[in-house]
Amino acid sequence: MNPYYHVESYKDGDVIVREGDDSRELYVVQSGEVVVTGSANGSAPETLGRGDYFGEMSLFQALPRDATAVAKGPTKLLVLEPGSLLLKLRRDPTFAFSMLNRMSGRIRDLEEQLAKTPDVGR
Amino acid sequence: MITTVREERLAVVSDVHLGNPLFRARRPFVEFLEFALVNEMAVCINGDGVDILQASVGRLTRELSDCAKYFVKFGQRNLPIYYTVGNHDLALEHFLDDWGIVRCAPFLDVLSGDKRIRVEHGHLYDEMFVHYPRTFGVMVLLGGFALRIHPAIFHAFKHFNTALIWLGRTRWSSTTMGVGDDAERLVKKIPGEQPVYIRAAQEIIARGYDAVIMGHTHRSGMIDLGGGAYYFNTGAWDQSPQFAQITNGEIALLPVLGAAVRGKWSKARGSWMRVAAVDDDA
Repeated sequence: MNPYYHVESYKDGDVIVREGDDSRELYVVQSGEVVVTGSANGSAPETLGRGDYFGEMSLFQALPRDATAVAKGPTKLLVLEPGSLLLKLRRDPTFAFSMLNRMSGRIRDLEEQLAKTPDVGR
Repeated sequence: MITTVREERLAVVSDVHLGNPLFRARRPFVEFLEFALVNEMAVCINGDGVDILQASVGRLTRELSDCAKYFVKFGQRNLPIYYTVGNHDLALEHFLDDWGIVRCAPFLDVLSGDKRIRVEHGHLYDEMFVHYPRTFGVMVLLGGFALRIHPAIFHAFKHFNTALIWLGRTRWSSTTMGVGDDAERLVKKIPGEQPVYIRAAQEIIARGYDAVIMGHTHRSGMIDLGGGAYYFNTGAWDQSPQFAQITNGEIALLPVLGAAVRGKWSKARGSWMRVAAVDDDA
């Protein structure tokens, strides 16, 4: 048993986090799927599968949730509190690599989207 | 750098230690590559495939030259060769990239069938490697020198190293992160394996994996971690070479057929002679 994280189970349609919430946990999809929808930039819903994670922006920056996450089908999530992240990374160092890799991909996607909107920043 | 791949047929080996005079695994490794080619399987060399720390350049070059021909054949048939870096080939971290024929990565997330399988060498969880990386490196290098002088000296040195590790464990055991878990019980299923690797596998599996395949410890075996998750270790190639065969998500530990290699010290020649080898026709 690991006391520094816990696993939560959700049914289809359960709201895991809601946009505007002040919670700060980071969630890793252990099984099932999660649909993440953000209204900030009108982006299309994103479906996350096993091994994917969400909630990291609120964890790192202590800001309200900028998206709503809903379970798609029976879903189990590994839940990390902010204070547990470093311990998790010490015990599972490649998790940090996976997070950086994914964030790098997200930044690239955002840059490509920005490049397609010529009026941004003017 | 690719770390996530989909492969329905993949053969995973570890700790071949090409170039190391104690292993002399060139012939069985070539047999293994032939097997993978014939069966249209991609290959993953899961760390310590080449022994940069304890090899002589001459031996490493000789042993790699036969393998290189097979690597080209893999490329011609579009069968990938993945190489995950270990500790004896740590310098290959400078080559973490896709090189066409060979794809070098720190670890692999293999999607096969409906399974998600982590393949990594395992040295990142070695307590000695983590707590005393420089000492670890120096001891490995010294072991290489001992090996070149005489295998008996190397084995004596190994016992000294084991004693050092035991002393280290008594110091850091109070700070290890195992929390009264079942790893101590589970690990007994692989004699000589350390619980720290089982804990690491459990941490990884908690993030949505079905199995973890490691090497590094030179202890081959399989442990059922419960909940449909498994830990595999493919062992080392100094005794009985094995590989993990992944077929549509199913994993099996299999011997490399016709490659029972054992090293035995020959007093007459003062070097390792292979005994009980099959197909000894070269």
